[in-house]
This record gives sequence, C-alpha cells and structure tokens, in this order.
Amino acid sequence: MVTAACTFASPGQPSGTWAGAPPSRWGTSPVVTPAHASAGDAVRGFFGIRPDARQPFDFSHQIHLSKGVLCTDCHTGVEKGPVAGIPSINTCMICHSQIATDRPLIKTLTEMQEKGRELDWQRVYGWVPEAHVRFDHAPHIRAKVECSTCHGNLAEQTVAQRAVNMNMSFCVSCHKSKQASNDCLTCHY
Amino acid sequence: MDRRHFIKLTAITGTTAALTACGNPENQVIRFIPEEDIVPGVAVWKPSICPLCQAGCGVLARVMEGEAEVFRNGQPGVIRMGLVKKLEGNPADPISQGKLCARGQAAVQVTYHPDRLGSPQRRVGERGSGQFKPISWDEAIAELVGTLDALAAAGDQGALAFLTRPRRGRRLDLVAQLLARFGAKPPVAYELFSDDVLRRANAMSFGSHQLPTLDLEHTRYLINFGADFLGTWNSAVAQSVAYGRMRQGQGGLRGKFVHVEPRLSQTGANADEFVAIKPGTEGVLALGLAHVIMVAGIRQGSAAGRAGAVIEGWSAGLADYTPDKVEQRTGVKAAKVERLAKEFASHLPAVALVAGAPLAHTNGLFNALAVNALNALVGSVGQPGGVAFAPQPSAAVVTRPLQEILAANTVPKVLLVDDVNPVFASPASWQVKDALLRVPFIASFGSFIDETSALADLILPDHSFLESWVHAAPESGSMTAVPVSAGPAMRPLYDTRSTPDVLLDVSRRLAKPISPALPNTFEELLGADTPKGVSPRTPKGVSPHTASGDGRTTGGDKPFLFAEAPRAKAEGLSVRYTDPQFDGDAAQYPYHFMPYPSQSFLDGSLAHLPWLQELPDPMTSGMWCSWVEINAQAAEKAGIHLGDLIEITSAHGSVRAPAVPSPGIAPDAVAMPVGQGHTMFTRYASGRGVNPIAILAPSVEAATRQLAWSATRVKIARVGGPDASLILFAGATRERPEETHGRGD
Amino acid sequence: MAYRWGMAVDLDRCTGCEACVTACHAENNIPTVGAGQAARGRAMHWIRVERYYEGDFPDVRVKFRPVLCQHCDAAPCEAVCPTYASHQSEDGLNAQVYNRCIGTRYCGNACMYNVRFFNFFNPEWEKPLNLQLNPDVSIRSVGVMEKCTFCVQRIKAAKVLIKSENRDLKDGELQPACAQACPTTALVFGDLNDPESRVARLSHSPRGTKLLEDLGAEPKVTYLQKQAWYEPDAH
Repeated sequence: MVTAACTFASPGQPSGTWAGAPPSRWGTSPVVTPAHASAGDAVRGFFGIRPDARQPFDFSHQIHLSKGVLCTDCHTGVEKGPVAGIPSINTCMICHSQIATDRPLIKTLTEMQEKGRELDWQRVYGWVPEAHVRFDHAPHIRAKVECSTCHGNLAEQTVAQRAVNMNMSFCVSCHKSKQASNDCLTCHY
Repeated sequence: MDRRHFIKLTAITGTTAALTACGNPENQVIRFIPEEDIVPGVAVWKPSICPLCQAGCGVLARVMEGEAEVFRNGQPGVIRMGLVKKLEGNPADPISQGKLCARGQAAVQVTYHPDRLGSPQRRVGERGSGQFKPISWDEAIAELVGTLDALAAAGDQGALAFLTRPRRGRRLDLVAQLLARFGAKPPVAYELFSDDVLRRANAMSFGSHQLPTLDLEHTRYLINFGADFLGTWNSAVAQSVAYGRMRQGQGGLRGKFVHVEPRLSQTGANADEFVAIKPGTEGVLALGLAHVIMVAGIRQGSAAGRAGAVIEGWSAGLADYTPDKVEQRTGVKAAKVERLAKEFASHLPAVALVAGAPLAHTNGLFNALAVNALNALVGSVGQPGGVAFAPQPSAAVVTRPLQEILAANTVPKVLLVDDVNPVFASPASWQVKDALLRVPFIASFGSFIDETSALADLILPDHSFLESWVHAAPESGSMTAVPVSAGPAMRPLYDTRSTPDVLLDVSRRLAKPISPALPNTFEELLGADTPKGVSPRTPKGVSPHTASGDGRTTGGDKPFLFAEAPRAKAEGLSVRYTDPQFDGDAAQYPYHFMPYPSQSFLDGSLAHLPWLQELPDPMTSGMWCSWVEINAQAAEKAGIHLGDLIEITSAHGSVRAPAVPSPGIAPDAVAMPVGQGHTMFTRYASGRGVNPIAILAPSVEAATRQLAWSATRVKIARVGGPDASLILFAGATRERPEETHGRGD
Repeated sequence: MAYRWGMAVDLDRCTGCEACVTACHAENNIPTVGAGQAARGRAMHWIRVERYYEGDFPDVRVKFRPVLCQHCDAAPCEAVCPTYASHQSEDGLNAQVYNRCIGTRYCGNACMYNVRFFNFFNPEWEKPLNLQLNPDVSIRSVGVMEKCTFCVQRIKAAKVLIKSENRDLKDGELQPACAQACPTTALVFGDLNDPESRVARLSHSPRGTKLLEDLGAEPKVTYLQKQAWYEPDAH
C-alpha cells in the first residue's frame, strides 16, 4: 500500500494517525514508513518538495482585497492564536447572501450551505511532520510582522500560492534581524 | 520515511526513487459545515462532572478545534468541531479543587474509544455472543415502547426492572420517578465495592445514612482501618488534597497516619506506622483502643453517646476488649494497643476511618460500628479534623439489591440496564448470567458491549458524559458541595442519544403515557431545579474557600463548616462482636483471599481505557495484566518466584495468575487486583488477565446482605514458571528485548 | 531576567496515586504501546512513580518517588549527543529537539535516571482516539528519543500570553500537567531564578536532596525527604 499521499503537518494540527498509514502495526519497513508511504514521498520529503494545494475553485484574494475586505475578516484566528484559520462557507455567506448572488459560483455556494456541505480548502503552507515545527501566528502579528512577509502580496494574487520558501533559514534570518530568540525550543518542541 | 532512512536506502541500493506526482488525496467524504464558532488553535474551557466514580469531581474540559469523523442525520462525514482534549480539576469545585486522579484524567478516552457504539443495536447472535446489527433510533425506541406497552396491557408493570449503579443525582431520581409512575418497583442498584455497610453503620451510630466527609487537613492523628482513601474509596481527590495539607500544611504540625490492614495497600503505603491485623477483627482493635482510652480516664464512655450505646458492653467499659484479649483476637500486640490508644486520644483532633476490606466480612457492620464508636469517643464527629456528614438536599433514592432479580420466582420480564456490569463484577456462584438469561427482554444503555450488555436484545447507546447534560449530587467530599449540573462540553460524535432523554421520550410514547408528564428533556428537567454552570457548588450564604498562594485554603476562623449530624430515633439495638466467617476450611484453604479495587480499573468498569491499562500499578508496576500478591518470605519458602504461574483455588473455582512476591502482605493472605479478566469488554480489556471476583464465595455481610468480598479462603499452587503474562514497568525502562521479560530488577 | 525552570517534589505529600502519569500522557501525546511492546520494556512514561519497600512484613514501610527528567545543569545526555538534539535551552530546560535527533540512543544510555524513551515505531492511535491529541504538542516519529519537557508547550503559551498582556509571570500561574493534576500538591513547578517563588523556597528546604546527587549532574529537580512522625509535644 504505497498510494497514500504526502502528509504535511500544520501548525497546531498534528495528524494523529499518520494519514494514509498502512493498517499494519508497529513493524513497518524501515524505508517505507507510515510517515512516508512511498519511496517517492520520501524523496520529495527529503528535498522539501511538496505539491501545490488544489483548491475547490479559484478563489481570488485580489478581488476581495480590492473591495476593502481585510485579511482578518476571514482569517479570524490570526490575531487570537496559533492558527489563522481557513474560513467556513458560513463566513463566505455573511457577505454573499447579499452580494453577487446571481453568479453561478455563489449560487453553488448557497446550495452547498443549504445542504450543510463545507468546502474542502487545502492548506497552502505546512511542514513535513518530521520537522516538528510549531508556529504561532498571533505573536508575529503583534510583533508587526506583515502578512505579506510570508504570504506575499495577496492583493496581486488570485489563488494563494506559496510566496516564500519556508525553510529554516528564512525563519532564522528574520528572527535574527528582529532579535527574536533562536533557541531551538522557540519553534521545535 | 525520514532523512536517515532515505540516506540508508540510497546508500544500500544506489538508486534514487523516481519523482512522481503526489497530489492531495481525493476527498471522497462529505464535509459538514461547522455547527459552532470556534477559533482553531485556541483552547476554551467548559465545565463538566467526572462520571467514573461516586465522588463526582467537577472538571474543566479543554476544548479545541479539530477535524472529526461524525454521523449527522445518519450520514458519515467530516466536520470541524470543538473536541475535548484534556480534563483538569475545576478550581472552583469544592470537591476536586482543581485536581484530578489518574482515572479522571483518562475519562476523556471514554468518548474517543474505538469500540464505542455509534448507533442503536439489535442482537443478531446468541445472547452473550456480542453480535449485534445497527438499527435506527426509530426502530429501537419503537421496540422498547412496544415491549413496555405489552407489559402495561397485561397489567404486569411490576415485571419491569431497571438495573443501575447507586450514583446520587438527578439521573437516578428520574429513573426512580419514571418507574414509580409506570407502576414498577424501585430501581435495582448494584456496586461491587459498595459502601452500604458503612452507610448503615453511620445511620445507626450517627443517624446519617451516608458516607462521611473527612477533614483530614486539620487531623493530627489518623488511624485508618482498611479504607483506600487515597486511592479508590469515597472522594479520593478531595481526601488526597486534604491529606497533603495534613502532612505538610499545618504550620509545622505533621499529622500521624496509622494504617491497619492485613495488606499494605497504596494508601497504607503512605502510613507512618503499619499495623498488620487478622482479617475481620478490625472492630476488635477499635474497641480495644476505646477500652484503653476509657480505662485511662482520657475520655468518658458517655462521650460517645448513641454511637457507643449500640456497642454491647460499652457502658461497662468494654471489659471484653482489654489489650490482652485484643492481642489474642487480632494479633496486634497488647503494648501496641495501649500505645496507639494513648497517642490517638492525646493528639486531637484525631480520627479513625473504616472502609473496604474490614467491612467486606460477614461481621462488617460490627467493624464499622466499632470504629464509629471510637470516633465518637474522642469527639471527632462533626468537628474540625474529624468526620462529618454533608447536608443532603434531598433523600437518596430508594433502591433494591441485585438479589431481588436473581431468584427464579422474581425474574423480571423486561430489564433495562444502565452503566453497570454485574455479570463481570459478581461471584460466579451468584449465577447472575444465568439469571439474566432467564429475562425475556433486556435493553442496555451502554456505550460498550460488555459481559452484561452482550446479553441484551437491544442496545440504545448513551452519549458520553462530555456530550450530554450531566448532574451529580455527591454525598461526601466537601461540606460546601451542593448538587451541580453541567452542559455538554462538545457535540456528539455519533448517532447516540442521552439516556435520560431517551427515557423521557419513551415515557411520552407509551400507549398510556406516563403521567403527570415530565419535562421533554433532561436539560429542561435540570434547568427546572438546579443551578448550572461553572461553579454553582456553593450554597447561598456560605463563602467558598479561596486558594491562596501556598495552596492552603483560607476562609475565616472555622475552616470547615459542619452541619450538626442529624439524630434519628435510636433503634434500641446493640451489636456484639461475632467472629468473621470465612468460606473454605482453613486446613484445606490456608490463605485469606483479598481481592482489592484496582487503582486503574476500580471494579473493572474502566478496564477498557488504554491509558489505564498501561498505567503501572503503584505497588507492583504491573501493566496490562493480572497478578497475585504473596508474602515474599512465604513465597521463598514455597519456591515461588516473581512471575511464576500460580493457581488460586477457592471452593467455588480457580484462576491462574503470575506471582508477585511482596513484603507488604501477611504470610497467610494472597491479594489480587480486580478489574482484569473481562471476557468481552472492547479490544483493550477482552481476554486479558483473570477476574478474582469470579471465584468468591457467595458470602454476604450478615446485616446488609452486601457481598462479603473479603470472606473467601483459597489455596495456592505453583503450576509453572513465568508464562510471560506478567508485565512490569519497574526495572525495564530500557530496551532489553533479548531478556525474558517479567523479571524486573 | 531569564527563567530557570525547576521542580520540587515533596515526598511527604506524594501518595503514589499516579495522577501525574496519566495527566502527562493526556497532555503530551504519549502513545500507549500495548501489552506486547510494554513487555519488551518499551512503555513510555515521561514521569513514573517508583516504589521502595523497607523492612519485612509486618514492620514494613514504603516510599514513593516520582521520577521525571531532572533537567540537569550538567546533563550527561547532552554531552553525548552527536547532533546537539539534546541540549540546554535558554531557560535551563534539558531540551530534546526531535528534528535533530537521529536516534543513536546515546543519551538514553548516558542518563542515570532512565527517563528517556525511544520511539521504536511510529505511534498509532486507533481512531478516534487520535481526536484527543493535543494540537500544541508534536507527535514524535519513529527513531527519535523523547522525554519530559516540563510541558514546554505550556511554557511557550505562558510567555506569549504575558508578552501580549505586557506583564510578568505570576508564580504558580504556569504548571506542567503533572503538577496541575497532583491532588496532594507534591509537585511544585516554577522559576528557580525568582527567589520568592514557591519552588525556589522549597528547593532550599533542609529536607531537600537531589536524586543521585553525587554523580554531579546538578539536577533542577529537588526531592524533599519524607518525614518521620514525632510527638510534637515531646519537643
């Protein structure tokens, strides 16, 4: 069973059982582990190569930001805790129960909400589980780090893409320049 | 695969794996819209009540967002929801005081247990086979309603019985109310380690048919007759909090703790002095102490009032209980009796406790009354540093004993079972399973298939306590506690329903609905009569103790508010000592058999929780297994070593378990923890270890008809070397796979 | 001023109830390994309660001793780690950085307290037990060592909180899971650099000792010895 997909742990979201893990118990192959279900996964994990997120539809950040919507209007957790949060369809419908209700996409959303169905957004960033990285949004926002530092200028993007290569040197150099702690335990625990 | 394995792979094979596309998994499952607003990554705390024992500790549940597979409208799917991640004691609760025991910590696994039933089930296999098929709630409720209607149509309402645990609270009240209005007899209550002997004694001595609340914080001298008050008995968390203060909290005064038992339990292990005693003679020692105190003129016998008056010979100074006579009967040296008595009476406040094994003899009531009299003699009842009885808002529900439904001529036609497993937790000689097999229709509200619910025809699984409205009215633990209710800490994962709600629903659907009608839901019922929310356990007019920085409580001059113990009419009865009767001839069965409630599993009802299975026993460090404790020197003589397989045989059966030689048990006794030996209780407990309760004699305490679980004698035989069933944590914290395990060093 | 986290364990209060053990499992995503692996010595308990008998029946006494990582100042595990996965953090925690760990297990050998545990396999939680997992704590994968962190995730969260509220940490506000659960308050955690903290005061108690002190690892956990009863009136 080597068909399982790559797993990327997200800050604050351990996956529990490793997604796609073979049902067998402890004695797995030393190469193809539940963490990386195939050799291909292993290679990609090693080089940090990850597939781009595939979203249910091409959500345009650019349009929404140009209408004056703020990042925090939808990503409500970003000032409160570790996870910015991906909005529920209910959040979409706060505005779209009134706005652009005649568009086909919005009609679909309305239907979905009526049926109680949620959109399956994919996470854009994330780390392999073995990185054991823990990231907390709120203190970065309080330290006046702009969203765009890591996420790029979304006013120019439609579907969110990875704007920076989120490797350790990226984090460490910023921490250095801001005199934030670079103790291992700051991020790895 | 991680980097090191990757490097290993490439080094060995010299190949690199092809880079193939790795798309995100196609998501086949339905995603439901979240039903609540919850900020991911941020914890919120919701109050609840731990249901695992009678203590009723107030807890706070740490709820965080997570993605769960759930059932909604009969459909499986995925939803982001608030999930309980951890339980902590509720600092505002006067019982738990912000603390929690190991079992309470593990209570969260009840909700997430992989073998929890997610929907109603109808039996398809033989009774006891554990084979069920899921059905809808409409079908399940219709079947139950139809069965009850048939009883009512035949005018046979009395043939309905409800079997449950005697936990005080509105849930049991509701059951009793519904039964009465239907025309059935009161609920049948069963608990293996029941405290009814002590309640009965307290009613006779002090007029309070309930368990005492202890004020150990202010106790300077504690003599404990067998009560596992730091482990499993009564309100263990509240008692442990107070115990810590008794040891290191009284401004330099450190209370002494004397433990009296034939075996050193986890509680006894903390004692300053261990007094080994012959089983069943604890009351004799208590009266011996009273005798010395009276003879020395430290206290007058009349000080004990009614508690003394119920003891035969009390007013005459207990002439039958001189230290020499006590030594003959109990095996405790006369000089020690003298010394303990004088220490006890001269270090006030002093208190004596009794519970557990001393009351599980045929003469248990005598032992309890004797200790009560000793307490009354030194004035420790209703006083700081002593025992007291918390005011009760309402009388406890009247229940019937299990024996009432076991006899062939009283077999109910319809039996409803809630949160109790007597097929496991009773001696095989009681033949509970056979009795239940004679019941034509059994419905269970259990969340798991266990030995009892496997006999059911219908299972209507309850929500977990974290998913439902809960209520508790603890009878002890704190003098300031009042009944409390709490709402769900999280939404249900499955297609389960709160049992009180199901009962109310059924009561309305009957052909002749229950009248007068009760509220529609348990929530409404609780809203009608109790406060709810975070910390409502403080009755009006009483200021709660507030924790100060050093963990001590402050709260005015009198640190503990005691109600005057109500005095009921004396029954004009006096009790005298009788020798404990043991089942099994002493020559043929030379060992006292001492089953004891396990730290992890209590009476076995928690054996399904993996955290508790892997929790090392405090005394032996045993995990995932059964064992039998045997005196180390006796074992040496008999050539029995750690892990050797021992057969323990009573007149009623035998079990096999590995031996753990211990210096903490009398040479003429063997002890086994209760809890393992389930034949059917989820993947974690089934077929693991043995059940010592099974081989007990059907002896009962003479006055109360409670099971005398300490009154069986056994013989033992070594039947083999280590069979790998003994799993110890001690001495094996390193990886040594090549070694035969079980020989911890 | 920098923090220096430490703990005092009052053996006179500890009753061996093991509430700390389950609390630690619940907080730190420690897997249960099952009977078979437990029999091979692979059970993981970052904190355990050791029990020692003294004497023989009936004159027998018992001592309980909770043992967790002692967060030594001169930690032998740190010196032997080839990848610096085991190192002393800014706050004096004996840190285990999982992503650096390559699983040599040297640290486990070097530790005289036996408080380090190796992941012999990827942990598994049979669904839906995984829903209980604490999102603030990593799930350790196969091949890494793990051990008590003094609940570093709680330390991190407390630091973030006090910074956002622009205040100092109050003594007792921050507790690891074991100390929070402990019914008898036998476990006291805090900042050893704050002379007024409860843990600092207890650490200077005349009853205080360190576990295997003569080996020179300079632990930051202090054990307060169990007292014997004496008649107060006689003194």
